[in-house]
Amino acid sequence: MTAGKKRSASADLRYEAWLRFRRNRLALAGLVMALSVILAAVFAPVLAPYDPLKQLIWTQGREVRLAAPSAAHLLGTDLFGRDILSRILYGARISLQIGIFATIVSLLVGVPLGALAGYFGGFADDAISWLINVIFAFPFFLFIIAVVAVLQNPSMTVIYLAIGLVNWVGVARITRAQFISLREREFVEAARALGLPTWRIIFVHILPNALAPVIVQATMGIGGIIMIEAGLAFLGFGAQPPAPSWGLMISDGQKYLAVGKWWWAIFPGLAITYTVLAFNFLGDGLRDALDARLKR
Amino acid sequence: MLSYVLRKILYFIPVVWGVVTVVFILVTIVPGDPARLLMGQRGDPETLARIRSDLGLDLPISRQYIRFLGDLLRGDLGTSYRNNEKVAASLMEHFGATLRLAFWAMILASVIGVSAGILSAVKQYSLFDYSAMFIAVAGVSAPVFWVGLLLLLIFAYGLQILPGVGYGDGSWRYLILPVVTLGTRPAALIARLTRSCMLDVMNQDYIRTARSKGLTERVVVLKHAFKNALIPVNTIIGTQVAELLSGAVLTETIFAWPGVGRLTVEALVARDFPMIRGSVIFMALIFLVTNLLVDLSYGLVDPRIRYD
Amino acid sequence: MRKTLRPLRYCLVIALFVLGACIAGAEEPRSGGVLRWREISDPPRLDPATASDSVSNRNLYLMFDTLVENDIDGKGLLPRLAESWEGSEEGRVWTFRLRKGARFHATNRGSPTGNGGREVRAADWKYSFERLVKVGSPRAYFIDMVKGYRDFTDGKTSEWSGIRVIDDHTLQFELEYSFAPFVSILAYPCFAVVPREDAEKAGVNFNFGPVGSGPFLLDHWEHDQKVVYKRNPDYWRRDDGGRPLPYLDGVEIIVIPDNTIAYGEFRKGNIDVLPDVPDEFYTDVKERFGNLFQERPLLGVYYIGFNYAKPPFKDNRTLRKALNYAVDRKAMSDFLLEGRYAPAPGVLPPGMPGYDPDLKGYDFDPGLARKMLAEAGAAEGFSVELNIDNNPRHRTVAEGLQGLLAEFGIDLRVNVLDWGVHLDLADRGETQMYRMGWIVDYADPDNFLYVLFHSDNFGPKGNYSYYKNEKVDGLLTEARIETDYDRRMALYREAERIIVDDAPWMFLFYYTTSLVGGEHVRNLRLPAFGHYSTPLEIAWIDR
Repeated sequence: MTAGKKRSASADLRYEAWLRFRRNRLALAGLVMALSVILAAVFAPVLAPYDPLKQLIWTQGREVRLAAPSAAHLLGTDLFGRDILSRILYGARISLQIGIFATIVSLLVGVPLGALAGYFGGFADDAISWLINVIFAFPFFLFIIAVVAVLQNPSMTVIYLAIGLVNWVGVARITRAQFISLREREFVEAARALGLPTWRIIFVHILPNALAPVIVQATMGIGGIIMIEAGLAFLGFGAQPPAPSWGLMISDGQKYLAVGKWWWAIFPGLAITYTVLAFNFLGDGLRDALDARLKR
Repeated sequence: MLSYVLRKILYFIPVVWGVVTVVFILVTIVPGDPARLLMGQRGDPETLARIRSDLGLDLPISRQYIRFLGDLLRGDLGTSYRNNEKVAASLMEHFGATLRLAFWAMILASVIGVSAGILSAVKQYSLFDYSAMFIAVAGVSAPVFWVGLLLLLIFAYGLQILPGVGYGDGSWRYLILPVVTLGTRPAALIARLTRSCMLDVMNQDYIRTARSKGLTERVVVLKHAFKNALIPVNTIIGTQVAELLSGAVLTETIFAWPGVGRLTVEALVARDFPMIRGSVIFMALIFLVTNLLVDLSYGLVDPRIRYD
Repeated sequence: MRKTLRPLRYCLVIALFVLGACIAGAEEPRSGGVLRWREISDPPRLDPATASDSVSNRNLYLMFDTLVENDIDGKGLLPRLAESWEGSEEGRVWTFRLRKGARFHATNRGSPTGNGGREVRAADWKYSFERLVKVGSPRAYFIDMVKGYRDFTDGKTSEWSGIRVIDDHTLQFELEYSFAPFVSILAYPCFAVVPREDAEKAGVNFNFGPVGSGPFLLDHWEHDQKVVYKRNPDYWRRDDGGRPLPYLDGVEIIVIPDNTIAYGEFRKGNIDVLPDVPDEFYTDVKERFGNLFQERPLLGVYYIGFNYAKPPFKDNRTLRKALNYAVDRKAMSDFLLEGRYAPAPGVLPPGMPGYDPDLKGYDFDPGLARKMLAEAGAAEGFSVELNIDNNPRHRTVAEGLQGLLAEFGIDLRVNVLDWGVHLDLADRGETQMYRMGWIVDYADPDNFLYVLFHSDNFGPKGNYSYYKNEKVDGLLTEARIETDYDRRMALYREAERIIVDDAPWMFLFYYTTSLVGGEHVRNLRLPAFGHYSTPLEIAWIDR
């Protein structure tokens, strides 16, 4: 800290949070891991040794069909002779895209609704809480499948929307709880007494303070969303072939487990676990780091 | 107390109605004509019209909705398009399998989760703590269907010490892999929550008092700390049960377990409207009722909650 | 010396005699035993009037009898409950003489039936056919050419006038027009005879307790687990030696959805027959079980249709043919399907009457394909959509096709839809390319060519390509009413040739059917019609 420079109170808090975060080894590990996945996704064209869509069996014949991991293909090949390592790298793109976009949809829908419910209470709260409870009661997974089926066209956009439209309830709940606890605070009363317009109070004053747990939830949520997409793809309702979706690869590879060709189904699962782990560590770390802020 | 219970139940009813209506809407707007499917691949328009009329599909939507609500109130969930069984009967048959799976998964998850959580809290920052928590996070991060496949690969196909998928003859051996698979995630969640609750509690004053009174560590932990940490842990167990019961779809699919989750996916693919409606409502009801019971019990246990 | 040799000679003769008897006796079918047959899912329906899928049919063949049945090798029709039949008035009237002494089941699920085990009579047949219409069978329209169908289905008459009971053992059908394949349609399992007393008493629940006249009767049904059948002690059929069939005491249809566990159970001996050997174990089964494994071409085709009525395939025969030349069927079958499917040059599969072994289809010819693609204006490559339903095998084939066609610069976009949506789009002609299969209903080329390619059958009736060719229409319609067998086959051959040349499809494969039986199972004979019609009344267990 340089002497003489005045910091605002919130900057102090943020700096403390960062220090706390840095000390948490798991959180740092999560950060590094998440970055590695992002880098893999971004630099996939450079890192991947083969074209993930190129089916080598038509030119190289039987020997590249379901070939075990070897020097030429580090993680083996699948039924069509496609290199699994390359597909996993490109698959990171699909998973991250889904994670990010579905999260954005969840936030765009969940935060405003939660804020409205929490701030205004009364009928708005009753109505929105009712909607949240109804959606929450559905067997989550089946609901998404049904939504995908309704929207009929199985494209990636549809899937982001479907997941986002079901996932927003978690975000809304937390936002609502935050708004309920924050709206009675002095700074809000002060703002009201000053005659500031409601929307300003909500967005400029309360929201920034409410965001911390929402961000934690969203980060951990990315992991959850990636798993949901994998599950959808596994059941056949997600990404379409020949997309190198991790869930799809597990689904395609599972029937060969019994005859000893395990690499197709197992490696993508490791990729999913790694990625979700990364975001979970990150989320945990963020929560611990921001904890003191929350407790205050 | 009574007003608390009443309030909870009164909130319950509109949610149930909401669920029922959303299900109806969803099922109606999902494309795909069940009558067409019943005809098999080759179809002829007159037969199609007749089947549709038999199924009541040619009535206007509002009429169908009223009929649907009426049947529901009488407890009639309809008859499956696929095999003419009563949906309610079919659900009860399959629910038994799901219940069995969920029950044992919950027992396993609770036992392992709580013990691991307590031990980790007591030995905070030890090797045990770090490893247990790492495994727990991994357990939450690994996709459940992949875990299932991995277990199948190792134990059923590789070492061949456990049978593969399916209900088999109903013996407990077929239960092991699906239970472990399904229980992994709840176990991990419970472990983490128990640990953090225990840590919170153990830093409280009354624990220090108990220790200074000379009580052994074990008594302190088990009698005093644990009981108080139990409350939120209880809640999580409750919600997990609800989630598990309402269809462990992925686990049931991998292990070909004849439960409600799998039944619903099959019904979805076959556009078996009554079965889809019936099973989704069934599962939602189970979820809501379980949560309601947990809420009510929470109110019983902790008087502070009642005045919420 | 001579004195001792004589009794020795006798002993030798006796020994040979006994040996011969042993050998003959070893092949003498044994009674008893329960055959456990695996199915992949619970049969949706057991009422012949409402069933339409192969799992249900497997069960129907056990409980019911039809008038005629298909020869195991697809060589023609054999009598079943009809002893003989003849056509008159140029194939417009068909008279069947019914077998005497065939009886309905006397018990069902452990209790006596309403009919009490009485004899099957012609009136029962009329009742059963009328019931199909009354219950809304999805297959009743197969015989819509029987006089009075329209009026009866519309409820204008109280009985089906074209079906006549001449006497207790004589049944007659009058058709609106000559229809040569008529009798072969009657082999389809839904045209089975059911007893009026039990059907009416049970109503819709007949589905859960069906009563027929077949070799096995229903004992109990544990949904999603198994269906248990017991031997019908009053079954009319006997073997060549006069022994009453079936030999088995019972059959259990065991439901095991997962292939791996089914195979495991079979190897352990808990399942006696594994029908339709799954791809992943195919090579293993062939190696391990050798002659216990049976496989033969199934009367069915696996194809990808082009939408003949919409761009890009409308009026663009060169493009359609180019795609047919671009596909290496043999490699696809070898790599993706364990070599199980045979490349198909045309439509009619081997074993079907009218099959043309000389038909020249499309061989894999990449050079020609490229040339034709350029001619069709697709030298730069183009993008096209393929609809498939959500089945692992179809996904594999579609993905492989994607990779293959990518070599020609063609971007094949695969839409994996669920079956209902897929069918809906194909019905309405809202496709560019779509995958379908077609399996035989009755052993006549009419069942393939007319249904799939006549312009009267656009959409849900079977012509999903919306293909129209007036010459073909004419040939097919003529063949329906032609009564001379050779002339009919010639008409079908000509039609098929034109169809292949027009290429409304990417012709891909013929299906195969297979099964593997345990070593103690005898006389298990896989029919050309598919494993689900394997006659279990002639099988026996040697233990």
